[in-house]
Amino acid sequence: MPNPIFRKPPSIKLRWPLVLIGLAVVAGIWFLSTSFVIVDQTEKAVLTTFGKYARTLGPGLHYKLPFGIQKAYLVRTQVIQTETFGFRTLKPGIVTQYSDKKYPEESIMLTGDLNIVDVEWIIQYRIADPQAWLFNVTDKQKTIRDTSQSVLNMLVGDRAILSVIGPDRQNIQDAAVRLMNELLNRYGLGVEVTQVQLQNIVPPAGVQAAFEDVNKAIQDMNRLINEGQEAYNAEIPKVKGQAEQILEVAQGYATERVNVAKGDVSRFNAVYEEYRKAPEITRKRLYYEMMEEIFKDQKNVDLIDKSLSNLLPIKNLTAPAQKEVQP
Amino acid sequence: MKKISIIIVILAALAVLFIVLFGPLFVLNEGEQAVIVRFGKIVGMHSSAGLKWRTPFVDEVHVFPKKLMSWDGEPQRIPTRENQFIYVDTTARWRIADPVKFYESISTLENAYARLDDVIDSAVRTVISSNFLREAVRSSDEILKAARVETFQTGEVANSDSLQQLAIVSTQYEKIEKGRRVLSEEMRQLVSSIVPAFGIEVVDILPRQIKYSDELTESVYQRMIKERNQIAQAFRSYGEGKKAEWLGKLENEKRSILSSAYAKAEQIKGKADAEASRIYADSFGRDPTFFEFWKAIESYRKTMPGFSKTLSTSMDYFKYLYGPAGR
Repeated sequence: MPNPIFRKPPSIKLRWPLVLIGLAVVAGIWFLSTSFVIVDQTEKAVLTTFGKYARTLGPGLHYKLPFGIQKAYLVRTQVIQTETFGFRTLKPGIVTQYSDKKYPEESIMLTGDLNIVDVEWIIQYRIADPQAWLFNVTDKQKTIRDTSQSVLNMLVGDRAILSVIGPDRQNIQDAAVRLMNELLNRYGLGVEVTQVQLQNIVPPAGVQAAFEDVNKAIQDMNRLINEGQEAYNAEIPKVKGQAEQILEVAQGYATERVNVAKGDVSRFNAVYEEYRKAPEITRKRLYYEMMEEIFKDQKNVDLIDKSLSNLLPIKNLTAPAQKEVQP
Repeated sequence: MKKISIIIVILAALAVLFIVLFGPLFVLNEGEQAVIVRFGKIVGMHSSAGLKWRTPFVDEVHVFPKKLMSWDGEPQRIPTRENQFIYVDTTARWRIADPVKFYESISTLENAYARLDDVIDSAVRTVISSNFLREAVRSSDEILKAARVETFQTGEVANSDSLQQLAIVSTQYEKIEKGRRVLSEEMRQLVSSIVPAFGIEVVDILPRQIKYSDELTESVYQRMIKERNQIAQAFRSYGEGKKAEWLGKLENEKRSILSSAYAKAEQIKGKADAEASRIYADSFGRDPTFFEFWKAIESYRKTMPGFSKTLSTSMDYFKYLYGPAGR
């Protein structure tokens, strides 16, 4: 009786070479795919043999021992990496979008004068030593962030709030780079911090209005001073003109007064010359001329006799003169 | 025969698999260290990477990281020595310095973190609460050196010293005895008296953030606001003062200009009056009697026509009314 077991072997026997070839191909592919490593221009590769550091490879195609005997770790050493604190970039672009979310647990700090300030900053770093980067520290990103936060807190804590907001920015940035590199070198992280850039440094939201108000007050101050100057400028030139006017008027009065005097006197002198020649006559003439001039145009003048002997005194002294003088 | 060869191949594959999985060779990567345990007893320790030997079946390999690790605590609410409550957020760097001791006393990373939580939190609490707030915030006395003059963009209008005096926020900063770095070091020392027993080394403990408790934050905000208000007031009041000064100056100059004009005018007029007097006197003095007569008739000429008159014939003018020879 034919048994399936006895029928099968021939077919297995037939496929043996195929299996072997298949295995060889798989082994070949595995061999090839694990024998080479391509390192990009921006990267370096760290090669380990049985887990132990062998050497660091630059860009290009490199041969390594296959089957996991040598492993290559690619590290992006040329790329500047950025960490932001107190804010997050959502999408960089021509108009970079930032997240609205605040991160007070990163940005709120105490200043040396025990005020509160809100600081946002970024750091940029580069992996300088790929071997150290790979093998010395776990939680690398967290270590960098923690270090940066600690350093910034320390620097801000050493300064007055107004220095932090204003003139000490550059000092803080420089010192932060130096201190961060000191710490990270001590940890052997293998990175180099190239830049610390302070972004927004503002008083916390609760007191911003008061800080703004100081600026407003400065504007108010300038406005008030200008108002004072304006009033001054509006009045004083006018007053100066008025003073000129007073002087001119006085001058006119003076000239007039002297001229009138001169005129009066010259007339008097002329008459006097005549008078001296014939005093009595001139005196009488002048008298009568005067009287004539006075009475010439007069009407309704009552004339009464002192002794009441020649003309009737028809005069009611209480009433205004109404009747003509009867000659 | 073929069956046997198949069995041999399978056995060979199993043997390779067996050697790889349980065999005398194992790979220790960079950044790792291992403790070899045989029947519960530590028989060896590897701290450098590479291909390592062990006795198959009986040796257990426990791999621990050799890298520097981060520890991150929860922010703790701690009273300072002056009894102000602050939140202190600390981080620490630590490593397994002695894997044998570590395995004996703690065995796992979870246990290590739990132990570090206890030890470091307690150290932070001890150090912070026995020091003043300023010691934790500042790390030097640099703030004492910095000029405490706030510069405002006041524009050109006001640059006077009195304003600068007003706007200065005069705070007396106290010297610190230790500072943040020393406190960090104290924390580390406290911890270092305990953790070596676990085979752990704590490299440093850094306060990542120090902030006021919520109640305290509110009152600090109030203080900051008041401080700003006071400065704003100084500016506004200075502006008011300057304005008043201008208005006063205006009044002063107005009065002085007008009065000096008046004085000059009167002087001019007086001079002219004197001149006129002199001219009159020079001329009239030549014959006072005639002058009196002349002045009288001149005066009558001007005044008489305006009077309403009742005339008496006793005037000389009328004397010929009585007869050709006069009265």
